[in-house]
Amino acid sequence: MNYQPSDYLPIIVQLGAALAFIVLTMVATHWLGPKRHSSKKDDVFECGIESIGDARTPISVKYFLVAILFVLFDVEIVFMYPWAVNFKELAWDGFVEMVVFMSFLLLGFIYVIKKGVLKWEK
Amino acid sequence: MNFWYFLTALTLLSALMVVFAKNPIHSVLYLVFTFFCISGHYVLLNAQFLMAVNIIVYAGAIMVLFLFVIMMLDLRKNVPESKSNLTKLAGAVLGGTLLVVFIAATRHMNLGNGSGAIGAQTGMVESLGMILYKDYLLPFELVSVLFFVAMVGAVMLGKREAGERNF
Amino acid sequence: MNAIIALSLSGIASLFLGFSTNRKNLLITTLLFVLVALGLNLADWNHEYFWFNNMLKTDNLSINFSSVILLSTALVVAISRSFGDDEEHTHPAEYYAIMLFAAAGALMMVTYENMIMLFVGLEILSVSMYILTGSDKRNLRSNEAALKYFLMGAFATGILLFGVALVYGATGSFNIHGIGEVVSRTKKGMELFEGGVILYAGIILIFIGLLFKVSAAPFHFWTPDVYEGAPTIFTTFMSTVVKTAGVAAMYRLLSISFPAVYGLWGNPLVWITCLTLIVGNITAVYQQSFKRMLAYSSISHAGYLLITILAKTPNTNGSILFYSLAYSIATISAFAVLMIVSENKPKDGKPDESFEALNGLSVNNPFLAFVLTVSMLSLAGIPLTAGFFGKFFIFTDAFSNVSPLFKNILVVAILMSAVGVYYYFKPIIAVYMKKGEIAEIQLPLIYKITLIITTALTIILGIAPDLVKNMF
Repeated sequence: MNYQPSDYLPIIVQLGAALAFIVLTMVATHWLGPKRHSSKKDDVFECGIESIGDARTPISVKYFLVAILFVLFDVEIVFMYPWAVNFKELAWDGFVEMVVFMSFLLLGFIYVIKKGVLKWEK
Repeated sequence: MNFWYFLTALTLLSALMVVFAKNPIHSVLYLVFTFFCISGHYVLLNAQFLMAVNIIVYAGAIMVLFLFVIMMLDLRKNVPESKSNLTKLAGAVLGGTLLVVFIAATRHMNLGNGSGAIGAQTGMVESLGMILYKDYLLPFELVSVLFFVAMVGAVMLGKREAGERNF
Repeated sequence: MNAIIALSLSGIASLFLGFSTNRKNLLITTLLFVLVALGLNLADWNHEYFWFNNMLKTDNLSINFSSVILLSTALVVAISRSFGDDEEHTHPAEYYAIMLFAAAGALMMVTYENMIMLFVGLEILSVSMYILTGSDKRNLRSNEAALKYFLMGAFATGILLFGVALVYGATGSFNIHGIGEVVSRTKKGMELFEGGVILYAGIILIFIGLLFKVSAAPFHFWTPDVYEGAPTIFTTFMSTVVKTAGVAAMYRLLSISFPAVYGLWGNPLVWITCLTLIVGNITAVYQQSFKRMLAYSSISHAGYLLITILAKTPNTNGSILFYSLAYSIATISAFAVLMIVSENKPKDGKPDESFEALNGLSVNNPFLAFVLTVSMLSLAGIPLTAGFFGKFFIFTDAFSNVSPLFKNILVVAILMSAVGVYYYFKPIIAVYMKKGEIAEIQLPLIYKITLIITTALTIILGIAPDLVKNMF
């Protein structure tokens, strides 16, 4: 249980391998694939339908609301990890602490649901 | 140590690119890269939990929010810069002064060996958890109030009201 | 401490009550919650406690500050009038809940013993204020104010956090008494202990963060826009609760952790104080809008409060508390009158917040005119009001401090008080001398009682300041 930074070398190797694979496939497809240019071929692909306008249209704020709630709960999950690792040492005290913390956020979640924020149609 | 210099140079470079990139999407991507570099620093400090959290929360979740915001704004219009030269000069002078002060401070800094209280395994998730849930119990619980405020605020400000434009 | 827990829980309670009861009941329950918290807060009187592994420390000073904050919160809740009756666009349950949470954050800022608690409290308070500033969603000014406040406030918090990190790096402690112990080992003549330079850099950065929150001069640029753009009721909350909490947090830190390096932070603070006083008062003279004038006046009052922090005499506790109490109640009654008069007389569909809106108020509304007059006199520091003794105590403190730098500050402060008299008399003149048409305004009962309380308190404290001053 005595970790050193060098223990994370395999992860760097893995990252390197993943990156190398991406680069390799991209380069390879460019080399291998045939290239034919025409105005139709170079068009942005949209299921065969002619593309209209720009991809950069404003999007509904609902997406953003869901994303921001996701971030909040994401951060909350992060707090659970050190607790889970020390679950036995912290014993009941830790459990009660976590229950209090979770119930606060659960109340927040209930509030969000009661407000109907997650209802898409409304 | 050499690796540290390499990583720091990379971090600074990508952080500068965040500022100088013309396309906001590129800025966000450079920012993600900066976060990865900072995670690398956490690994070097043997703080692996922070490394993982930094990637999950910052590089993962918060950058998604940034992208959402950029997509919501119409950034295709090229708005001419509104800052006057005087403002720029003042900013440069102030920022430069702060930089000089900090460089001077670091030069005179005598860190010594420290108190020796911080061992190599301090940043491990086990010790972090014990400190967080024993000593720092109160701030931990009160952070949930902060989350609650953020949640209520997001719902209140973001929820559509009758008569508002919707698409 | 118990008050913080009570406020957090009651915030959630009032949020969920919003689903079941109407807005009138919400006002009453929220007021009740705040008063319960006030009672719990006072229950610790004369006991010094450390809470949860030295995270918080309650002593009489912090209880006094908490009481001022809770009293201001209660008064602001009382004048909120349930945020009108627009069911579609106002959300009273959310507003009240966030105000309760903000008060909890403010209490953390005045009772903290660990820097982490300062940060958490500051964040809760700031995030709440960003939200409340932008709560008038259809008003572009409100949106702009919220965005400005958020961007600048987030940076200020970041700078503060960096400062905390540096101070921790230099002293190895998050505990303010622990930091104070390490710092006091600094030898005379500014000789640095190990890692001393980063300590100084850290102190400066913490300073910047906190001065931003109390809107002292080089960091005040957000104040007028945000105060003007935010709905008036939340401006009231901001200019009383946030200011008191910020000043208290700063005072706590400087008086416990860094008295040993007074020379380091004292010198810049003298300049900042002078600048704050000059900028706040001089700019206030030129304002056409009453609300904006009050924003600049709040900057200038931050300057007076900074003088007490600088003076560092045994009386400082009492003076700073008395001043924040006098300032808070006077500000609340001024904003209360502004709110009800301006909403009564809309201009282009928005409340008219200029001085002209007050013209001829005294004809049909002598009570409101009187309340406004007393609050303006108190803010200007005219005798027989609380504000006079607030300034008097501060100037005595500054005078008894022998450092020659302080004499300069005193001159500036007295000159600026004279300038203050000029612009605080503008609304009084508008109310009594100018001609205007304002019909009689019907005041809700709670509103009227609140105004009577604030005005009576201002006058009582102005006649017999010892009633409260001795308590502090």
